[in-house]
Amino acid sequence: MDFSFTPEQEMLRKTVREFAEKEIAPKVDQMDETGKVPMDLVKRMGELGFGGVIISKEYGGTGIGHLARVIILEEIGRVSAAMANTLQIDHLGESPIIYFGTDEQKKKWLPSLASGKKIGALALTEPVGGSDVLGIQAVAKKEGDAYVINGRKCWITNSHISDVCGVIAKTDEKELTCFIVEKGTHGFTPGREEDKFGLRGCNTGEIVLENCKVPAENMIGKPGDGLRIALSCISNVGRSGVGAAALGLVCRCLEEAVKYANQRTLYGKPIANLQAIQWLITDIYMDYEISRLTAYYAAWLRDQGARCDAENSLAKFWATRGAVRCAERLIDIFGAYGVLKGYVPQRLLRDAWPLVSAAGTSEIMRLVMAGSALKKFA
Amino acid sequence: MKEIAEYMGIWVFAEQRKSKLMEVSLECLGGGKQLAEKLDIDLSAVLIGYNVEELGRELIAYGADNVYMIDHPLLGIYQSDAYAKVTADLIHEHKPEIFLLGATSIGMDLAPTVAAMLNTGLSAHVTGLEVDEKRQLRQIVPGFGGKVMAVVVCPNHRPQMATVRLGVFKKPMRDESRRGNIVKVEVDITEDDLRDKTIRMVEEKPKEKPLEGAEIVVAGGWGMRAVGGFKPVRELAELLGASVGGTRPALDEGWIVEEQMIGQSGKTVRPKLYIGLGISGEMHHTVGILDSEVIVAVNNDENAPIFQVADVGIVGDLREVLPRLLKEFEKIMMSG
Amino acid sequence: MHKVTLDPVTKTLRRGDVPTVINPLDKHALEEGLRIRDEYGGKVTAVNMGREETICREALAMGADEAIQLCDKAFGPGADTLATAYTLSKAIKKIGNFDLVLCGNETVDGSTAQVPPQLAVFLGVPHVTRARKLGFITERKLRVERSIEYGYMIVETSLPAVIAVTKEINTPRIPTVEGILESYQKEVKAWCAEDIEAEEERLGSTGSPTTIVDFLIPEIKRRGEILKGPADEVSRLLVQRLHELGVI
Repeated sequence: MDFSFTPEQEMLRKTVREFAEKEIAPKVDQMDETGKVPMDLVKRMGELGFGGVIISKEYGGTGIGHLARVIILEEIGRVSAAMANTLQIDHLGESPIIYFGTDEQKKKWLPSLASGKKIGALALTEPVGGSDVLGIQAVAKKEGDAYVINGRKCWITNSHISDVCGVIAKTDEKELTCFIVEKGTHGFTPGREEDKFGLRGCNTGEIVLENCKVPAENMIGKPGDGLRIALSCISNVGRSGVGAAALGLVCRCLEEAVKYANQRTLYGKPIANLQAIQWLITDIYMDYEISRLTAYYAAWLRDQGARCDAENSLAKFWATRGAVRCAERLIDIFGAYGVLKGYVPQRLLRDAWPLVSAAGTSEIMRLVMAGSALKKFA
Repeated sequence: MKEIAEYMGIWVFAEQRKSKLMEVSLECLGGGKQLAEKLDIDLSAVLIGYNVEELGRELIAYGADNVYMIDHPLLGIYQSDAYAKVTADLIHEHKPEIFLLGATSIGMDLAPTVAAMLNTGLSAHVTGLEVDEKRQLRQIVPGFGGKVMAVVVCPNHRPQMATVRLGVFKKPMRDESRRGNIVKVEVDITEDDLRDKTIRMVEEKPKEKPLEGAEIVVAGGWGMRAVGGFKPVRELAELLGASVGGTRPALDEGWIVEEQMIGQSGKTVRPKLYIGLGISGEMHHTVGILDSEVIVAVNNDENAPIFQVADVGIVGDLREVLPRLLKEFEKIMMSG
Repeated sequence: MHKVTLDPVTKTLRRGDVPTVINPLDKHALEEGLRIRDEYGGKVTAVNMGREETICREALAMGADEAIQLCDKAFGPGADTLATAYTLSKAIKKIGNFDLVLCGNETVDGSTAQVPPQLAVFLGVPHVTRARKLGFITERKLRVERSIEYGYMIVETSLPAVIAVTKEINTPRIPTVEGILESYQKEVKAWCAEDIEAEEERLGSTGSPTTIVDFLIPEIKRRGEILKGPADEVSRLLVQRLHELGVI
């Protein structure tokens, strides 16, 4: 069992870290304050090729795979979980086309997504509940060689900045279908933008589809494929991505905890000497290691072509809940300073919570794992 | 090597800019004089410029026994190629055993060039010079890692060269009555000889009070992050009429400019009072403050190395201490 | 245009697990070479002295056309700047036909800033140190803004030349994902002393006129009074002490 990274992956980590520290870090406070997406940074991520990592060379990407993708998201998440989530949803928006699109469809959309000229998103969730996928109400009615979609999507990341958006709608009572809708299509408009208490600078909002006419060739797969497409993409790309962003956040918690514990003195000595603080740091460390290993393992499985829905769910579950726990511990370590606005810990806690329900609630993650465990260990 | 015995004399490069001698060159004369007396040899200066005869006399007043003066219209301003060539030629002809240059932006360019042309050794920014029983020059430089000083020698090549920072040696007393030789050296230089040519030099006034010659220095380091930056350093400096300095991390953070960095690759200061705030005291930095009369440090880590070189130190949280310290200084400054 | 040869001079120390990194200033030198190539054409060759190829890989990832690793026990340790400059000069002579050699002005560890001028002497070309801005006057002439203590100089130099750059000169590009992949597809040439026809007695410690003979732990005699306690009290005490010592 070889747990080492390739030289390319090591260099990738180094360069993404450099980008995150040099270019994202200075904008983090502003993002948190205004809640606005820094589009110049989104453009920079495109320039560096981050958008094309799961798109094959044939279609303009680099195809470096899911483990490399996790490394990128982790390093960005360490500086800004908001930025990481924006990027990972971009990948999620690409994925129906990558994994289920025709050659023509791939040629049409993937190159500009790979180069960062266009941003992706995936619109599935509706007010009826993200966990109740079959309960969605958006409808796509065939009219000639087009489909007319009506519906309202909510909690969609990149709702207001995406150029290429996958929309899941019902073509029949029990039939979910996936369509690609481009920005500017008549009847496709971003709605309300949500004002989250954390993960600010990552855009979450509504998408309103009102008699939105979409050409038939924008359908991914066949009518009825939508459920399979959505769940597969969300599991393999969405959950993996959220988990990686949360992993970055946990890593940051560990670094900040150690740094502070070595600096802050009590009773004349750094608090790192106190066992109580050491225990807190140990707990963060354990969450970090577990989040790391589960995230890398799930991504590795995916790169091998193996099914890994349970592993994806585990990685996301552990890292996201771990992020909340570790941020809380960090606030404990910082004492009173932990609740001050000018200090990092409180922002990390606020950034961690939105990740918990992104790409599926913890409860859904448990369901997925339960299904797998019950089958595997029967 | 019998050739080594042929080399005699201490030479100092007398750097001039706009017909004014650089302080560090005069300090090198001071340091060079000590060595010359110990070895019982002459101290000479190399002076290159245009219309610099006045400076030649000044160098003698500051202790030079001989001044090799190259006065040429094309050489008024530093010319990398030409200065190196004429210096190397001079050394080749007269064979000094030691050649010292100030570690200025010009000295640090000229010295290595000349050393390579003469195929000899060069130490950079030495903090001390001694001669041993074998007439060998022991060049003391800050060692890698910063915890020790390294002693460097150049046993088989001559001249032994070193660049010296401002503040390492003492400027000698000026003595108008001193006598010496000014040797006018003729050189044949035309425009075509200058492969690279300095067109002009633009000097700008420093934005803040420079460290050179400062009586009080207030310096800040990485620890100032805890209080959000350098503002308290500047506040205290203004209150005390002090110059502002800092460590490399402070430079990297953009809180100071290069000219304000104190240490191995920065400036050496010798003020009456040095106050280091949030500075851990790695030798990279402290090597530049050890000649201060009184060293004060404030740091939250009692194991910080700065406390080993401090006369008085406060172990405490900068956030708590600095505002109160400023108040106490205010009180005493007001009371006169 | 012509061939632009880039030469980052790197001396790094391995301290435990700390990985070797490109000397920060060398990144600026490389970036300048890439910038010139992108604008005018030419070829950028990165040269590194050391045992690991990660630095050459990073240079390739940033966009260098070629990378050469100089590794040979004979090159160091114990090599001072003269021996280092000699080694690099032989490598560059082997590459041949260069117009411009770019280096970082100094390294973060040794910080002597001596190698670039010495390299120029061995190559028989002019040099300019502390360059913070470069521009072409003609194809064979550069205009360099050279930083000095408080101000700058304008220097015009013919090519070929060695230019040592400061960090003000540019912002080094961050390698793209594609660049990283490509860097591992290119070859890093490894050259030893024989390959560059270096004379043994001019290499390593043998070729170094200077040598370290001793280490000193400086004796420091200071009062060493440490004040601990409530911030009010220690602040007051400190100022009082300084007043007593007569410094304020």
